[in-house]
Amino acid sequence: MDRVVPQAVPLGQMEVFQALQRLHMTVFSQSVSPCGKFLAAGNNYGQIAIFSLSAALSSEAKEESKKPVVTFQAHDGPVYSMVSTDRQLVSAGDGEVKAWLWAEILKKGSKELWRCQPPYRTSLEVPEINSLLLVPKENSLILAGGDCQLHTMDLETGAFTRALRGHTDYIHCLALRERSPEVLSGDLRTAKEVQTIEVYKHEECSRPHNGRWIGCLATDSDWMVCGGGPALTLWHLRSSTPTTIFPMRAPQKHVTFYQDLILSAGQGPCVNQWQLSGELKAQVPGSSPGLLSLSLNQQPAAPECKVLTAAGNSCRVDVFTNLGYRAFSLSF
Amino acid sequence: MSSESSKKRKPKVIRSDGAPAEGKRNRSDTEQEGKYYSEEAEVDLRDPGRDYELYKYTCQELQRLMAEIQDLKSRGGKDMAVEIEERRIQSCVHFMTLKKLNRLAHIRLKKGRDQTHEAKQKVDAYHLQLQNLLYEVMHLQKEITKCLEFKSKHEEIDLVSLEEFYKEAPPVISKPEVTMGDPHQQTLARLDWELEQRKRLAEKYRESLSNKEKILKEIEVKKEYLSSLQPRLNSIMQASLPVQEYLFMPFDQAHKQYETARHLPPPLYVLFVQATAYGQACDKTLSVAIEGSVDEAKALFKPPEDSQDDESDSDAEEEQTTKRRRPTLGVQLDDKRKEMLKRHPLSVMLDLKCKDDSVLHLTFYYLMNLNIMTVKAKVTTATELITPISAGDLLSPDSVLSCLYPGDHGKKTPNPANQYQFDKVGILTLRDYVLDLGHPYLWVQKLGGLHFPKEQPQHTVIADHSLSASHMETTMKLLKTRVQSRLALHKQFASLEHGIVPVTSDCQYLFPAKVVSRLVKWVTIAHEDYMELHFTKDIVEAGLAEDTNLYYMALIERGTAKLQAAVVLNPGYSSIPPVFQLCLNWKGEKTNNNDDNIRAMESEVNVCYKELCGARPGYQLLTNQLQRLCVLLDVYLETESHDDSVEGPKEFPQEKMCLRLFRGPSRMKPFKYNHPQGFFSHR
Repeated sequence: MDRVVPQAVPLGQMEVFQALQRLHMTVFSQSVSPCGKFLAAGNNYGQIAIFSLSAALSSEAKEESKKPVVTFQAHDGPVYSMVSTDRQLVSAGDGEVKAWLWAEILKKGSKELWRCQPPYRTSLEVPEINSLLLVPKENSLILAGGDCQLHTMDLETGAFTRALRGHTDYIHCLALRERSPEVLSGDLRTAKEVQTIEVYKHEECSRPHNGRWIGCLATDSDWMVCGGGPALTLWHLRSSTPTTIFPMRAPQKHVTFYQDLILSAGQGPCVNQWQLSGELKAQVPGSSPGLLSLSLNQQPAAPECKVLTAAGNSCRVDVFTNLGYRAFSLSF
Repeated sequence: MSSESSKKRKPKVIRSDGAPAEGKRNRSDTEQEGKYYSEEAEVDLRDPGRDYELYKYTCQELQRLMAEIQDLKSRGGKDMAVEIEERRIQSCVHFMTLKKLNRLAHIRLKKGRDQTHEAKQKVDAYHLQLQNLLYEVMHLQKEITKCLEFKSKHEEIDLVSLEEFYKEAPPVISKPEVTMGDPHQQTLARLDWELEQRKRLAEKYRESLSNKEKILKEIEVKKEYLSSLQPRLNSIMQASLPVQEYLFMPFDQAHKQYETARHLPPPLYVLFVQATAYGQACDKTLSVAIEGSVDEAKALFKPPEDSQDDESDSDAEEEQTTKRRRPTLGVQLDDKRKEMLKRHPLSVMLDLKCKDDSVLHLTFYYLMNLNIMTVKAKVTTATELITPISAGDLLSPDSVLSCLYPGDHGKKTPNPANQYQFDKVGILTLRDYVLDLGHPYLWVQKLGGLHFPKEQPQHTVIADHSLSASHMETTMKLLKTRVQSRLALHKQFASLEHGIVPVTSDCQYLFPAKVVSRLVKWVTIAHEDYMELHFTKDIVEAGLAEDTNLYYMALIERGTAKLQAAVVLNPGYSSIPPVFQLCLNWKGEKTNNNDDNIRAMESEVNVCYKELCGARPGYQLLTNQLQRLCVLLDVYLETESHDDSVEGPKEFPQEKMCLRLFRGPSRMKPFKYNHPQGFFSHR
C-alpha cells in the first residue's frame, strides 16, 4: 500500500495544533445557498465554511478553489444542523438558533441576523438542536432537539409558537410530509404526531446490538425511509408496515430520496444507492471514514452546480458530479 | 715684471741676430775701404734695371764678338789674328763686365737677403712682444677673475636678514650710522653679531645638555622603582585570591579567561562574549568557561617561513616514504577527511543550572575548515538518576537538544558551501560524524553570530555580535525548559513503567476520584514500528510523525477491554503536545475509523490538551493525558448501551454520573468531566 510521504516542514506549536484540529474535525451539516452556487458546511468546532461550488466545478479550478471562500466562528459548540431559506442561512447547534444573510455572508466579519433560544425546561444542561425543518407554508421553523420536544418558531416574529411533546428520548431527525402537514420525527422510539411507529418492535428490522435509535428519516408523502439502530427500512405510511428492508449492516445516519433511488450514508465511507425494491445499485466510496450528512444541490438557478455533496468524520466534503464516482473533495 | 724681462730678452735676441752680420760687413768694409771702393755703396747707386739692360747688351756683344771670332776663325787668315786679338780683348772686357755684373747681382742679392732677414727679425721681435703682452694680459685677467670669485668664508654663514639685524643687534655692534653706508662695514658688523649670537646659543646648549643628563638620571631611578613595584603587586594579587573567592568576586579568574579568549576563533569569541554578558546581566545561573590548549591555538598561527620550511621538509620525507610504502587511497582520503573535520583546540563550555540543581553542560566547538560550530550536551543531576528503560533516549547527549527550534535536527551542516568540500573528500553527510564532533544546530550558529542566508551564498561568513545577542535569551530559556521537561518526563517514565500514572495533587481536580482502568504497560517503540501500525495512518499522513520524534506504546486495561495507545512525543514537549492514537479491543477492534466514540476520545486528549497542562510550565501534560485516557475508557465501557438480546448483566455497570448518555447526530458518549460537581457531560 502506498504510504503518502509528508513534506518535511518544521512544525511549530501552532502548526501542530492546527493539524490536530483538522484531524479531529467532523462536519455535521451542510446547506446550499438559494442561488445554488455556494455550499455552507458546519463543523464540530462551531465554524461555518462557505465553499464556492461554481469556482470548484469550473474548468480552471485550482487547489485554492477547494478551500473555503470564508470561514467564521458561528457558534460556541458544534453546528449540528443548517437549513436555508430563500434569503437566509439558519444554523443551530448547542441550544441556539442563529440566522445569517446569504448576501452578506461572503464578507468577512458578518454578524448574525438574529439569534434566539427555544424555551427549555431544564437549566442544568443546554440541550442541543439536532435538526431544523422549514415549513414554507406557515413560514415557520421547527427545531428538534435534545430535550425531546419539537419547538416551532415563527420566522417573521421570531416567537416560539408550539412545543410538541411526546418523544421519550432526544430527537435526531425531522422530515416534512408535503401533502398533509405532518412532521415526522424520529428518536429512540419513533413517534409521529399522528402515529407512533415503534420501529424496533418489528422483528425484521430490529437490530438490538445497535440499539433502538432512529438516526435518519426521509419521506416521500406516502413512503418513509428510516434507519439507524434498526436496519434501514422502507415503510408504507398509510398502513404503517415495513415494505422493504435494505441489507445494510452499518447504522445509517442520513437518508434521502432522489429520483427513483434512495441514497443513504452512515458508518462506513460509502454513499449507498438503493433501488426501491431493496437492491443495492451502487456503493460509491468517499474520503471520510464515516458520513453524517448528504446534500443534493437541486436549486434551479444553478444547474451546472447540480452535485451531491457528502460530509462526515473528517474535514473534507466530497463532491459527486456523477453519482457513480467521487469527483473531488472540498476541505476546511 | 715679465714684460720687462721680455723686453730685456728681446734686445738680446736682436743683438745676437744682427750683431755678427753687421760686424762682418763692417769689418769687410773697413778692410776693403782702404783699398777698393765699396761695391755695396755702388749697388745702392746703380739702378738694377739698367744693370739688367747692360747685362743683356753685354751678352749680345759677347755673342756677336764670338760669332765674329768664329767667323774670322773659320775664314782663317793671319791678319785675322789681330782682329781676333782685338775681339778677344773686347770679349775679355765684356767678360769683366759680366763678372762685375755678377758680383753686383750677388751683392744685391745678399743685401736684399740681409734686409729681409733684418725685417724678419724685427717682426719676430714685435711678435714676441705681442705674445708676451697677450700672455700677461691673460694672466692678469685670470688673476682678476680669481679675485672676483674669491668667496670668503663669511659668505657661507647664513646671516640674519638686514631688517632683523638692525632690529635685534645692539647699536654697539650694528653701528647703523657707519654700516648703512659702507657695505663692507655692514658685513663686518653682521658677522660680529652672528658671532655673538652663536656664542650665546652655545652656552645655552651646554646648559640644556647638562639638564638633560640630570633628568635622564632621574628617569632611570624612577623606572627601577616601578619595576620593583610590579612583583610586589603580583604578590598582593596572589594573596587576595582567597579573599576574592570568599567574596564571590573572581576577578582573577575572569581576567585569565579574557586572556585565553583572545586566542579564540571569531565565532567562539562572539559566543563567549555574549554568553558572559548575558550571564552577568540577566541570568546568574549561567557560567562560561574556556577549555582547551592555548598553546595549540597559538601554534595555528605560526609565521609562514617556518611552515614553508616544514612543508619542504615534510615533502622530502613524504617522497621518501612514498618510495618505500605507498599509503592506500583510503588512508589518504581518511587523512584528508580528518583534516577537513578538524576542530579548533579551544572550546567554550556553558553550564546552565536549573532550579532543581541539575546542570546542563554545553561544550561548543568550532570546525575551522567548515566554518561551523557544533555543540555537545550533557545533563548531570544533583542526585543519581536511575534510568527507566523507556527513558533511554530522553537525556541522551545525542537527542536531548534535538529540535530545540522546530525542524532544527542538527544532522546536516548549515553551511551550504560545505557540500562542495565534502564532495572532494567523499563525505556524504555530517550525520555520520555528529557523535564525535557534536551537533551543528542552527541556534548554535546563531549564537556564534554565523548566518548562512540561502539566497546569497557568501564566500566568507563573519561572526556577528548582534545576531548572537538577539538569540541568546530565547535560546537559554528554551534550553532550560528543555532540560527540565526532560527531567520531569524521566521521573514520570520511571513511575509509568511501574503502572502508576503519577498525577500531582494540583491536577487531581481534572479527574474523578475513582478511576478503575489501569495503565499496564509503557514501552518505547521504534519510528518504523509506529509507521507500520494500522491505526496511526492519519497521523503519518498529516506529517506529525517524523524521525526526530520519540514513540511510545501504552496499554490500558479494564476487565476484558484492552486499549492500546500509540504516543508521538515531539522533542518540543511540552509546548507541543504528545499525540495519541487509540485502538480498543473489546467486542471487536474499534479504532477511529469505525467508531466515532474512539475518535471523540482521541479528540479529548489531542485537541483539548490545553486544560490538561496543569500548572506552568506544564510538564504534567503527558501524565494527565494518560489519566484522562483511563477515565475515558471507564466512561466508554460503562455507558455502552445494553444489548437486550444477549443474556447476562452488563460487564461494566455504570458508576459514573452522566446527564445524558447520547447526544448529537453521532451519538457521542459524555466524555467531559465537570469539576467539582463530578458528573460527565458532552462538549
